[in-house]
Amino acid sequence: MILLTATGITKKFDAKTAVKQIDLTVQAGQLVAFLGPNGAGKSTTINLLTGTIAPTAGTIEMAGFKPDNRQYQKQIGVVFQKSVLDNQLTVWQNLKSRADMYQGVTLTPESELITAFGLTSILKQTYGTLSGGQRRRVDITRALIHQPKLLFLDEPSTGLDIQTRTVIWQTLNQLRQQQGLTIILTTHYLEESAEADFVYVIDHGQIIAADTVEQLQVTYAQSQLMIETDYPEVVLSQLAPEWRVLQTNHQLQIALPDDQQAIALLTKVRSVVTHFEFRQGNMDDIFMALTGKEIR
Amino acid sequence: MMALVKRHLALYFDNKSGVFFSLLGALITFVLYLVFLKNNMLASWSQLAAPQKLLDPWLIGGTLTVTAVTTTANGLNRMIVDRELGTLADLVLTDMSFIGIQFSYLVSAMIIGTLMQLIMFVAMVGYFNLTDQFVLSPAAILPVMGIILLSSIVWTTFNLLILSFVTNLDSLGKIGTILGTSAGFFAGVYLPIGAVPVAAQNLMKITPFPYNAAIYRQVLMADQLKTTFKQVPQLRHQFEQTLGIGIQLQYLTSWQENALILVGFSVIFGVLTLIFAKSSRRKAINKV
Repeated sequence: MILLTATGITKKFDAKTAVKQIDLTVQAGQLVAFLGPNGAGKSTTINLLTGTIAPTAGTIEMAGFKPDNRQYQKQIGVVFQKSVLDNQLTVWQNLKSRADMYQGVTLTPESELITAFGLTSILKQTYGTLSGGQRRRVDITRALIHQPKLLFLDEPSTGLDIQTRTVIWQTLNQLRQQQGLTIILTTHYLEESAEADFVYVIDHGQIIAADTVEQLQVTYAQSQLMIETDYPEVVLSQLAPEWRVLQTNHQLQIALPDDQQAIALLTKVRSVVTHFEFRQGNMDDIFMALTGKEIR
Repeated sequence: MMALVKRHLALYFDNKSGVFFSLLGALITFVLYLVFLKNNMLASWSQLAAPQKLLDPWLIGGTLTVTAVTTTANGLNRMIVDRELGTLADLVLTDMSFIGIQFSYLVSAMIIGTLMQLIMFVAMVGYFNLTDQFVLSPAAILPVMGIILLSSIVWTTFNLLILSFVTNLDSLGKIGTILGTSAGFFAGVYLPIGAVPVAAQNLMKITPFPYNAAIYRQVLMADQLKTTFKQVPQLRHQFEQTLGIGIQLQYLTSWQENALILVGFSVIFGVLTLIFAKSSRRKAINKV
C-alpha cells in the first residue's frame, strides 16, 4: 500500500536549487533511507515532506492530503536534526506540554511509549542535563506522542554511541512490527541505511539511485579481491578486461562481479599469491560507485 | 492553549537571572529615586506639608510603568527565541493552530507583566510603609489592579510591534537594553516630565509611557492630593503638570482620558503589528 507519493518536487532558494525534480513513493510499513553526503539536499527533502517548507514545484500527497493540511500533519511525527525541546524543563514537562497540545492524547508517566524508550528513570531530569543519547530518546518519544503513521528522522544517530543507536533501533523496529510504523530517515551512516527496505541515494539535490539495498548491491557494489604477489603481471594476465584493478607495487585490488569468479581466479594464480583478502561489496562501495566520493 | 502558556511561564520563571534582569529597569528607577532624587525633590516641594506622602506613590506609579514595559518584553521574547531555535517548527506540528500558538505568547506575556507588576507593587508599598509610614487607601486597590492589567495589555502589544522587526536573537538583547534604559526617561521617573525641555515632552507624549505613569499616579495619589492641597489649591495644577499626574495636552488629562488613550495606543500597535508581522506560518518557521 502506498502511503506517500511525491511527484516532481523542486525547491529553489533564490538562485540555488536545493532539490531538483524528485519523485518518491513510500510504501506503508517500510523503512526508507535517504542516503547522501552533507549538503546533498536530504534535509530539504525532509522539510518538504513534513510541510515545513513549500515546494517551488511538484506535489506531495498522503491519503489525499497535502503537507499543509492538518490531517496530513496528524499522521506524521518529526525528529529534527537539532533538538527542539526546552533545555530548562524536565523531560516530563517537555513531553507533557507537547502531549497536551494534541487533541485526545493523554500521557502519563506510565505510558507505554515512555517505558519503551527507557525514560522512566529520567522523567524528572532537566532535559538540558541529559546525555546526547538520552536526549535523542526523548526527541523520538515526543515525535511519536500522537501515534503518527509516518515518522521522519533527520540524521537521528549522528554523534551517538553504538549502544544508544542499538536501543533506539530496537525500539523503532518493535514499533514497526507492532504498529506498522513507517519510517523515513536521512543518514550518512551507511550501516544504518543498510537496514532499510528501500534506499534513495541523493546527491546535488537529485535522486541518483532508488532501489532496495540488495539490488543496489548487485548493481553497484562489486566484491573486492585483494591479492599480494611478487608477480603481478601473471595475475594481471588472467583478469577479464572489464574488471577494475588498482595496483600498488605488489598489491592488486580487483573488483569482481561475484564470489565464483574470485575462486576461479585464485585457483588459476595460486602459485604466485603470497596473501589474499576477499570481501563483499557494501554500502560504502555503492556510495563510491554512485557519487564518486567517500561519504563525507 | 493552556499547556503552551504554562510552558512559556515555566520557562520565564525558571530562569531566575532572566526574571531579575527583566526587573532591572524598574529596580534602577527605584534605587535612583531613593539615593539621588528623593531629597532633591523633597527640597523643591518643601512648601507642601509632608511631600514624601505624595512623592512615594508618585514613584510607585512610574516604576510600575517601567516594570510593565520590561517584563512583558521579556515574556514576549520567548516568541522570537522559539522561532530562532526551531521550536516553533515543532509546535506547529501539533493540533494547535498557528494563530493559537502566537496567541499563547501574548497571553503568557500579559500574565508575566501582571504578576511582576503585582510583586513590585506590594514590595514598594511595603517598603514605603516601613520607611515613610505610607498607607495605601483601600479604595485604590481595585483600580490599581485594573491599571496593572491594562498596562500589561498595552505593553504586550507595544512589544509585539517592536519584535515584529526583530530577526535574530542578538538584536533581541540589544532592544531589551534600549527599552529598559529609556523606559525610565519616557515614563518621567528619572526626571519629572515638567523638568525636561518642551521638545522632549512632546516626544514623550506621542508614546504611551507618560499616560500610563499618569493614570497610576492619579489613582495612587488621589487621597493625598486632596489632603495636601486643601490649604494651597492654587499650587495643585502646577504640581500635577510638572510631575506628570495628568498629561498636558490642551488641558491636563483625567484618569478616564488616560485610560482611553492607552486603549487607543494598544489598538494602534495591534493593527500595525498585523500589517508588519510575519503572519504566515511558513514564513515564520523558515525565517525568510
